[in-house]
Amino acid sequence: MNKPVLKEKILNENTNTDRTVLKEVKSKKSRKKILSLSKKQKEDLIGYAFLVPAVLFFGTFVFYPILKGLYNSFFNMTWKDTTFIGLDNYIALFNDEIFLKSLVNTATIVLVAVPLIIIFSLAVSLLVYKLKSVSRSVFRAVFYLPVVTGSVAVTVVWRWIYDPYSGVLNYILKTLGIIDDNIIWLGDSDYALMCIIIILLTTSVGQPIILYIASLGNIDKSYIEAAKVDGANSWQIFRKVKWPLLMPTTLYIVVISTINSFQIFSLIQLLTSGGPNYSTSTVMYLVYEKAFKLGQFGYAAAMGVVLAICIGTFSIIQFKVFGKEVSY
Amino acid sequence: MKTKTKLRKILSVLALAVVAIIFVFPFYWIITGAFKIQEVTILETPQWFPLEPTFENWIKLFKNPTLIWLRNSFIISISTMILVCITASLAGYALAKKNFRGKEIIFGIFVAAMALPKQVILVPLVQIVNQWGFHNTLLACILPAVGFPFGIFLMKQFSETLPRELLEAAKIDGCSEIGIFIKIVLPLVKPGVAALGIFTFITSWNDYFLQLVMLVEKEKLTMPLGVALMQQEFTTNYGVLMAGATLACIPIIIVFVLFQKNFTQGITMGAVKG
Amino acid sequence: MKKVFSMLLIIALILSMMVGCSNGEKSSGEASGGEQANVEINFWNFPNYTVIDDQPGKYEEELVAAFEAKNPGIKVNVQMIDFKSGPDKINTAIAAGTAPDVIYDAPGRIIAWGKDGALAKLNDMIDDGVKENVSESILRASRAGDDYYMYPTHHAPFMMAFNKTELEEMGLLNMLNLEGDRSWTVAEFEAFLEAVVAKGKRGPVVFASSQGGDQGTRAFIANLYDSPITNEDLTEYTVNTENGAKSLEWVVNAIDNGLLENGSAVDAGTAIDEFVTGRVIGTLLWSPGLEKLKQESLNFETVFVPYPNSENPKLEFLVGGLCVLDNGDDAKIAASKKFIDFIANDPEWGAKNIESTGSFAVDQRIETTYDSPMMKYNATMSNNYSTYYNTIPGFVEMRTFWFPALQAAINDDKSAKEALDDFVVKSNETIK
Repeated sequence: MNKPVLKEKILNENTNTDRTVLKEVKSKKSRKKILSLSKKQKEDLIGYAFLVPAVLFFGTFVFYPILKGLYNSFFNMTWKDTTFIGLDNYIALFNDEIFLKSLVNTATIVLVAVPLIIIFSLAVSLLVYKLKSVSRSVFRAVFYLPVVTGSVAVTVVWRWIYDPYSGVLNYILKTLGIIDDNIIWLGDSDYALMCIIIILLTTSVGQPIILYIASLGNIDKSYIEAAKVDGANSWQIFRKVKWPLLMPTTLYIVVISTINSFQIFSLIQLLTSGGPNYSTSTVMYLVYEKAFKLGQFGYAAAMGVVLAICIGTFSIIQFKVFGKEVSY
Repeated sequence: MKTKTKLRKILSVLALAVVAIIFVFPFYWIITGAFKIQEVTILETPQWFPLEPTFENWIKLFKNPTLIWLRNSFIISISTMILVCITASLAGYALAKKNFRGKEIIFGIFVAAMALPKQVILVPLVQIVNQWGFHNTLLACILPAVGFPFGIFLMKQFSETLPRELLEAAKIDGCSEIGIFIKIVLPLVKPGVAALGIFTFITSWNDYFLQLVMLVEKEKLTMPLGVALMQQEFTTNYGVLMAGATLACIPIIIVFVLFQKNFTQGITMGAVKG
Repeated sequence: MKKVFSMLLIIALILSMMVGCSNGEKSSGEASGGEQANVEINFWNFPNYTVIDDQPGKYEEELVAAFEAKNPGIKVNVQMIDFKSGPDKINTAIAAGTAPDVIYDAPGRIIAWGKDGALAKLNDMIDDGVKENVSESILRASRAGDDYYMYPTHHAPFMMAFNKTELEEMGLLNMLNLEGDRSWTVAEFEAFLEAVVAKGKRGPVVFASSQGGDQGTRAFIANLYDSPITNEDLTEYTVNTENGAKSLEWVVNAIDNGLLENGSAVDAGTAIDEFVTGRVIGTLLWSPGLEKLKQESLNFETVFVPYPNSENPKLEFLVGGLCVLDNGDDAKIAASKKFIDFIANDPEWGAKNIESTGSFAVDQRIETTYDSPMMKYNATMSNNYSTYYNTIPGFVEMRTFWFPALQAAINDDKSAKEALDDFVVKSNETIK
């Protein structure tokens, strides 16, 4: 190997190869021959070895059932009866106005909730991570509390908040003179979806806040110092230093929040059953209803596949936008 | 200048506090609700604080095998948490820092698997578990949960920020792969593992549907399942419901507090720079 | 942390293995030979029986103990399920092959499972004795075609109820008809509500936020101007006639005028709670079983009345029964049938079980000891049962269309006629 090729290799390959390592390899060329495994193969094996435990569980309990689920979507599958019907489920789906409405509702939830989640968690984290350790822990715990208390408490409380007669929301709005009559929040097709989104926000920001605080804490202070020395203000520091370094975390949060929002279910099940008049019906709720209430497992599987494709498309876009590798 | 930033700081903390009230409120509500008598829980003007506190809800709750439910939930959640942390950190590290053929595809499959709603795979999952003979056991709620790739994704993101130079240096020093992982990688991704631990514990605890379809014996029920049983068709005994919900929070809070310490161990990467 | 982790791991793995292994054997402990082979069956019960001592499942365990004493060689495992997630659990279990052997539920779901081939036929259990002592409409509700899939046990009408104590205090009790079958017209109902509201009390809630309790609102709409939900032979939904639209319109107007409460965001349970706590004067859904269930919380006397109807009131009613799942094991099916027979017909427990449900026995040979005027009135109202249509194909799916239709009309998203038309079109498609 001559030097120019080496250099190119380093520049072209990703940061995995290192000059020092290559040098080491060159000197161990003789040993390599005995091992009869190319470096590439050895590295492959190491990579796979680390994956084995996870893949074992994943393959058995997730991947295989998914294949089976996909398979089911081409059948009319009820409790005991299974007949092959090809694409009929999928065709029926796109003629099903309830499904289409649910798709629209689901997309609305995602498009509204995800940006709000990111902005809110980021804002809170930026404020909190600089606080003293005690206050930081307190706030972190506070924002995570809805997740801890679980959907039982959350739904009971919010149902009460939205209660037309005894709820605190109507009470406050009437006292402030914003409305005259009680609004039936969860019973009004104009408002119900927004109400659900607000609850979703409170249960969704806990995890991102914890992650952002952890990541912000991990940012090397010297980078920030350097930027300050260069005369940057806090917004510029955020844009040029913090935001890029937070990209991996942001990507995770964006993808997970999207998936969670797309798959919002228990809130709907406990509060509105998809109503009023399907205004809060989501694809996930329909999947549950079709599969477990009506026993239409094949149809539900097809719905799930369509949902997965939507999520997948979103995720690919998100990976492109937020997944750029950052190096300093 | 100083007062301006101080003022801004005070205002922002104040704003945070106001918002925080909304977040804390459900928690406050279930704790106080657990001590309210039935009639009071459905009052039109709510009692902010139970004026006639009572233990009757707790008595009702504990007439049932509540401790068994708690134990089952705990076993399931701890086991899932431990297994997920181990498998996910191994896999996440490899996906972030190792180069191997098919890496992109494998990761893509992991992400795609998260996209498909769990409901769709539930029936095939029950069939598999039943065929292998561990339906109606706690194991049936643990093993499938470990398969879900959320943890792998999280650990991959956390592992991305590991400095390559450090890893290479260790390799040159003759450290084995697993040695590098245990001695260098793990300490650096500890905040990620801690976060993952908590998330997994809570998710597993609240995984109502999986528990519902996998457990069919009274002695195997978990807290969420047990509390749900106390509901009837047209009756909600809110007091008991709140008591059950409060009880369920306690282990979660304990785990949260225990693991929280590890978030704060910020690792300075200064040692590696240059 | 590493040490803590590894320790926790070892402990947890050991614990889980222990728990997993020791209870991992499938509960199918069948002896391979011998006369009295030990058969084990699984019994899943909805909260049909009153809960004793705040422990769901305790009554069932006593029942099972009595059965096992008389039937050594059969072991019954009881699993309680609730109405919210119980159906999901059952549906998953049947599809995945982990179904129980006996379920106590109602025709709506049971007949659907039967048609799909999940149940064992009970034709041999429905002998002449049964046929002579159980009404034809209930027998009809227990079979699909000529095959019986459900062994019926209890029934009760659904009606409206009002707060008798308070009405007396308000001096309005005389606006109700308390004679005979207590029937009344829509005009009388409207006048009654107006008087109640004028005195500052709220009318019943028209709950519509979920499926639960929808038999109440369906019966309500069907009765007002006489527009039955389906036709007699259960081949078509018919509620969208002119009369039906008139009914729904009347309800929507009543809500707009404050005579009834807007229940778009309220479910049946909450609506009933509003009644029980005295916040509203009445409820659209009530039954003897419900009265028994709410006994502790009720601090006033109730009065049952049928839905307003220009002719004779036509009531929806509940029927409960037991079914046997066909898991391919003849011994278990036989044992299950014995168990069902015990629950329904045992000299001591048959009547006891019925009384525990707070409803009536379908089999006239079983003597219950109800003697309150309320129960006597309810018993006579079984003469006013309408056609039971819960066994119509697609019944479960139809229920998912009903409450959105109500919500649409109440919210003014659709006119009453449009909402009902839409409902009928969707529901008719499920009859296949």
